[in-house]
Amino acid sequence: MTAVIEIEGLRKSFRSLRRGRRVAVDGFDLSVEAGQVHGFLGPNGSGKTTTLRALLGLVRADGGRMRVLGVDSPRRLPEVAGRVGAIVESPQFFGNFTAHRTLRLLAVAGGVPTGRVDEVLEQVGLRDRGHERVRGYSLGMKQRLAVASALLKGPELLILDEPANGLDPAGIREMRDLTRSLAAAGVTVLISSHILGEIQLICDHVTIISRGRRAATGPVDEVLAGFDRHEWRIGIADPDRAAAVLGAAGVTVAEHDDHLVAHGVADPELISRTLGEQGLWVRELTPLRPDLESVFLELTGSAPDPAASRQVDDVTLPPAPREPVIDLDVRQNGEVPA
Amino acid sequence: MNLIRAELERLAARRFVQLMVVLLLAAFAVAAATTVADSHRPSAAELEQAQSQAAVQIAHLEATHERCLRVKAGQLPLDENDYLPADCAEIDPARMAQLPVATDFLDGVFVFANQARPLLYTVVAFLMLFGLLVGASYIGADLNSGGVVNLLLWRPRREEVLRAKLTALTGVLLGFSALTSAAYLGVFWLIGQAGGTPGRLDGEFWAGLGGSYGRGLVAVLFAGAIGFAVATLGRHTSAALGTVVAYLVVWELGARLVFGVLGSGRPDRVMLSSYLFAWLSGEVRLWDGYACGDGAGFCDGFYTLGWPEALVVLLALTGGLVGAAFVLFRRRDLI
Repeated sequence: MTAVIEIEGLRKSFRSLRRGRRVAVDGFDLSVEAGQVHGFLGPNGSGKTTTLRALLGLVRADGGRMRVLGVDSPRRLPEVAGRVGAIVESPQFFGNFTAHRTLRLLAVAGGVPTGRVDEVLEQVGLRDRGHERVRGYSLGMKQRLAVASALLKGPELLILDEPANGLDPAGIREMRDLTRSLAAAGVTVLISSHILGEIQLICDHVTIISRGRRAATGPVDEVLAGFDRHEWRIGIADPDRAAAVLGAAGVTVAEHDDHLVAHGVADPELISRTLGEQGLWVRELTPLRPDLESVFLELTGSAPDPAASRQVDDVTLPPAPREPVIDLDVRQNGEVPA
Repeated sequence: MNLIRAELERLAARRFVQLMVVLLLAAFAVAAATTVADSHRPSAAELEQAQSQAAVQIAHLEATHERCLRVKAGQLPLDENDYLPADCAEIDPARMAQLPVATDFLDGVFVFANQARPLLYTVVAFLMLFGLLVGASYIGADLNSGGVVNLLLWRPRREEVLRAKLTALTGVLLGFSALTSAAYLGVFWLIGQAGGTPGRLDGEFWAGLGGSYGRGLVAVLFAGAIGFAVATLGRHTSAALGTVVAYLVVWELGARLVFGVLGSGRPDRVMLSSYLFAWLSGEVRLWDGYACGDGAGFCDGFYTLGWPEALVVLLALTGGLVGAAFVLFRRRDLI
């Protein structure tokens, strides 16, 4: 597979007179291969948007190396900009223009045929509202317009930062379908989002960032599997006796109001057989698989704490990455070292 | 080219630009209407009377000069009420830049030749303000709203994007200023023809007016570029407006007072306004309060700033600010 986005050891900090130096991204790595729908997750302030901005040349990285569609970014980004569609945070558009005019001007500036404007307005569901001023648009409509602007080039790589922001449930579903159809057409998609259920539904790969460092990466199934504790929910008529039987068989069991949870059981046959041999008949045996939300909360340590108001920086700091990559790459042909 | 075309369309579609154009046209219309209302075409009798008044005035000047020559030659005694210069050539009517003419003595008559320069300066001042505000808001609003970021996602070449914006701005300002100020003067020329008098419109007049017109257009471009550059440096439209107000209050007013208290002889030399006036009018004569300190003998305390000197200062200021804006914009984090 060909990597279309490669980030190695990205570092970025911001300095201000009042608050001093604040590290936003600290040796972050990311790799997105062609054809992937890659979810990019992280709590607020974890460095997602800074990473995307650095990748797209909007902020200057302090260190590390980035490549987009095989060329160094941001130095050679203009060479491939026509193949990359992107929205970063909630883009603002000139309120006095209609959506149609906004897109037409972008098309003119980018050398894209203006005939594409109607196509992308249709794609994002703004066909009938395209000649209204953007000022009157709802947040969700503006977001659709932003996605339309990213699609206008017919990109090979689509970078979407919070594309579902402000969308209603129907809009979220439409965005999901749109993303899937783009992926099916061969477009590589990198999505940053807080809507973890959506990411799990759409994405085949995921990278989680916390406090500027990578906390996990890989295929969604593999990342989830890494957090699978082999737990089973057991519904049974006599939970006290069942707990005792399973405990005697070496299974760790936790008792809840109307069910049991067995931990560390790879094969559910062990549970049904052990209980059946004692005349205890299971009426429910459900695997408790981790979902992306629980993995995310665990990895980032950002689960709500009923005892205190959690602050945005109260998240887990993943282990320091390897020694920061010092970019001494002076090669001109853009090859990645082995 | 595509980028400039898109930027021209964006600039022309801005509500603020449209509002300023409407205000400018309204001000023009009011000025023209009040001039038409206050002026009339002089009758033959009025012209005849004005011509005779001018002739009397010229005769008086010639008599004064003649008397000066005769006093200096010792042919006439010096009257104690006489003020005569050391050199009678100073009051020689033949050497005067302009002798009294009939139009100087016409009341309630719009004389285009007399009013063209002040009218041009007025329109240039308005256009400079227009240029400053439009230049500042054009980039300031785009930086603030994320419009520049959107554009950079399409064309990730910062210098090219900023250059396209500045080119579009200065092109629009130049075209608009050239047309409106020419139209403005044309309207008043017509008023002079139909409802007043054109005055003496010789080659010298048109050459002088043409020079002021050209320099006025350049001044508008300077104002637009400065507004654009300061708003880029400060990321906001208000940065440009605040800087201009701060400069006027702190330097043009405050520092001038301090220079006065400290006894500095030529505070105008370090004031931008002096160079701006020198540029627009061709030259400006300024007073050096300490040049004639001892009071002995004849002393000309005036000094002159010419347009070439003014051009150097204004170019250096504008070029410096625009250069700094480009350098900073190239390196800046766009958040």
